[in-house]
Amino acid sequence: MSSAEIAPTESGHRQSSRRFRRAQKVAPFVFLAPAVLLLLVFLLYPLVSSFRLSFVSWNGLGDGGDFVGFQNWVRLAHDTLFWRSALHNILLAVFSVVVQLPIAVVLAVVLDEASKGSRILKILYFLPLLMSSVALGVLFKNIYDPNFGPINGILSELGLYSWTQDWLGDPRLALASVIAVVSWQYIPFYMVLFLAALSSFPREITEAARLDGASGRTIFWRLKLPHLQGTFRTAALLVLIGSMRYFDLIYVMTGGGPENASEVMATYMYRTVFASFELGYGSTIASAMFFIIMAISIVSLRVSQRFETEV
Amino acid sequence: MQFRPTAKAAKLLSCAALASILPLAGYSQDVKTLTSWDLQTQEDTVKVIRNGMDRFEAANPGFKVEDSHFANDAYKTKLKIAFGADEAPCIFSSWGGGPLREYIKSDQVVDLTPYLDENPEFKDRFMPASFTAVTYEDHIYGLPAETSAVGVIIYNKELFAENDITPPETWDELMDVVAQLQEKNIAPFALANKTKWPGSMYFVYLADRIGGPETFLNAAERAPGGSFEDPTFIKAGEMLQDLVKAGGFARGYNGLDYDIGGSRRLLYSGRAAMELMGTWEFSTIANENPDFADKIGFFPFPSVEGGKGDPNNVVGTLGDNFISIASSCEYPDAAFDLLMHLTDDIAVEKKLEDNGIMPVKNLEVDDPFLSGVMDMVADAPSVQLWYDQELPPALAEVHKDTTQQLLGLSITPEEAAAAMEAAAKAQDSSN
Repeated sequence: MSSAEIAPTESGHRQSSRRFRRAQKVAPFVFLAPAVLLLLVFLLYPLVSSFRLSFVSWNGLGDGGDFVGFQNWVRLAHDTLFWRSALHNILLAVFSVVVQLPIAVVLAVVLDEASKGSRILKILYFLPLLMSSVALGVLFKNIYDPNFGPINGILSELGLYSWTQDWLGDPRLALASVIAVVSWQYIPFYMVLFLAALSSFPREITEAARLDGASGRTIFWRLKLPHLQGTFRTAALLVLIGSMRYFDLIYVMTGGGPENASEVMATYMYRTVFASFELGYGSTIASAMFFIIMAISIVSLRVSQRFETEV
Repeated sequence: MQFRPTAKAAKLLSCAALASILPLAGYSQDVKTLTSWDLQTQEDTVKVIRNGMDRFEAANPGFKVEDSHFANDAYKTKLKIAFGADEAPCIFSSWGGGPLREYIKSDQVVDLTPYLDENPEFKDRFMPASFTAVTYEDHIYGLPAETSAVGVIIYNKELFAENDITPPETWDELMDVVAQLQEKNIAPFALANKTKWPGSMYFVYLADRIGGPETFLNAAERAPGGSFEDPTFIKAGEMLQDLVKAGGFARGYNGLDYDIGGSRRLLYSGRAAMELMGTWEFSTIANENPDFADKIGFFPFPSVEGGKGDPNNVVGTLGDNFISIASSCEYPDAAFDLLMHLTDDIAVEKKLEDNGIMPVKNLEVDDPFLSGVMDMVADAPSVQLWYDQELPPALAEVHKDTTQQLLGLSITPEEAAAAMEAAAKAQDSSN
C-alpha cells in the first residue's frame, strides 16, 4: 500500500525532472529564435537575394529580369569607376585610422586627467556625433562654399587669398574635404570609447608610478597606451569597416562628384540602382562590396590577433 | 469550476471575427480611395492641386483622394521603390521622357489614348507638343500637369545697365559680354552643378543651336547615321569649354549645390550676372528674395552663327510634370476623371494665379515674365526636352557625368562624345 503510494510520486518526480531537463535543452533555442528569425529574414534573405540579383539584368520594375550569368561580374572587373571608388574607400579608411584614432586618444586622455572640470567639454566634444549627417552635410557645404563660406572668407581677410580653394568643386580636393568632415563627426565616438576604457584604468597604478618618479609622458606611453591597446584594435576595426561602406556625408556633400572625385562604392551603387535604373548591376556592386568588406574584416581581425599575442 | 476552453475560444473567435469584418465592410462599401503622389511642396501649388481633387470628390461621391507631396530628389527614389514593390500610387507625377518609358515598358502605366479619344474637346485644349514627352509608340501615357518651363538666361538688369551691356543675341556677342563682365570682376554665369543637370542645359542648348533637334533625335533613337560622335556634339563640347576657359562661370561651379541655392546666392549678391535656368527660377527668386525679383530680366539662349538649329527653338518642357495612372490602380476610369479635374479650365486658371503656365492653347497671360515665356513657347518650332529626362536613365547618367567633366576641363569633347556613343551602343544592344 505504502509502496504503491510512493511509486507514483517518485515516477512523477522523475518525470518532471526529465521534462525540466528537456525544457532546459530547448530553452536556448526558444530564446534565440526571435533574434535568429529576424536575422534570417532581414539579413540573410536580403543578402542571398541581392547576390542572386547580381546575375540578372533588370531595371527593378515589373517582374524578373533576364539571367545573364557572369556578365555583370565581368563588367565589374573592367569597371574602372568601381575600382576607383574602392580606392577612395581605402583612402577614407586609412586617413580615418590615421586621423581619427590618435586625436580621439589624446582627447580621451586629456579629458580623463582633467576629470571634474571637463564635463562640459565632454558634452561639447560629443555633440558632432549627435547631429544628423544630412544636417551636418548641409552645414559644411555652406562652410566650404568658395564664394561665401567662412573658410575662404577668413583666408582672404588674412590676406591669404591665394590659399583659398574651391573645396568641394575641385576634384583634387573634394575627397579630402569630405574626409575632414567625416573625421570631425566620428572622433567623438572613438573618444567616448577610449574614455570608457580609461575609466577602468586603476588610479593606484598611476599613483604608484608617480611615486616611483615617472613623468606624465612615461605614464601615457608606458601605462595608459598599452592599457588601451584592446580598445584601439576594436576602434581600428570599426573605422575600417565603417569607411568601406561609408555613404551619407559623401552623398549629401558631393554626391560622389565632382567628376567622380569623391565617389565611394556605396554612392556608386546608389547611383547605379536609383539613377541609372540598373538594379542587376547595382546588386553586383553591392555583393562585391560585401565580399571586399568581409575579406578586409577577416584579414584585419587576424592581424590584430597576432598583434595581441606580441604585446 | 468547470473549464471549457472550447466555448471560451469560440466566443473570443467570434468577437474577433466580428470586429475585423465590421469596419472592413463599412470601409469598402463607402470609400474608394485613390492615392496620388507628386513633387509639389510649395503650399500654394499644393492648394491648387487639392482644389482639383476636392472638385473630383464632389462630382464622384464615394471616392476619396489621398494626396502626398514629396521633395524632388527623394521623390524619384521613392517612386521607383514603390513601383518595384508593387505598391505604386494610383496616380503619379513624372517628367515623362526616359524614366517614364521604363515604367511603360514594364506595363506599369495605363495607356490614356482611348480615354483621350473619348474626350476630344478636352484633349484638343492642349498644345500638341505637350504630349511629346509622354508619348511612346504613338500612345499617350500622361497629361501635362503644372507649367511650361523652358531654359532661359536670367540676368541682373542693374548690373547690365551699370556696365552698358545689352543682352546678347549671338554666341559671339555673349562671349563679348563675358569678357566685359570679367573686366569688371563680375562672374558672368552662376552655375551650381553638383547635381549635374544644371550644367547639362548649356550643352543641350549648344547642341540644339548647332545641329538642330534632329541630330540629337537621330543619335538617341539610333537612327541610321545618328551618332553621339556627330560633329555637332563635339562642337558643342568645344564651345562649352571655350566658355569655361574664358572664365564664364563663378568659382566652385562644379561643386555648388543648386538645391541649397548655391547659384542664386551669387546672383543675389551681385557677384554673378547671369544664370541659365528653367523659368521656374522666376517664382523661386520671387519667393526667396522678392526685392531682387524686380531686378531680373531674361533673354533666350543666343544663336550660333552657322548653326543649323532655329534660334527660336527652346529647350525645356511643356507641362513640367506629367500625371499618369499606374496599371495597379483599382479604379482607372475614376482616376482618369481625377486627371481631368486636375487639368481642366478651372485648374489652368488657378495654376496661372500661382505662376504656372499650363501648355493649353489661347491662354491669356498678363504677367510680363510669363507672357514672355508663353511667346517663346508659342513661336518655338521645336521644344527639346532636357537630355537627362529624355534619354534612357543609364545613358542620361553618362550624359550628365561627361558634361560635368567637360565643364571641369578634365576630358576633351571627343572623349565625351566617344563615351556617350559607347554607352548608347551598349544600351541599344541590351534592349
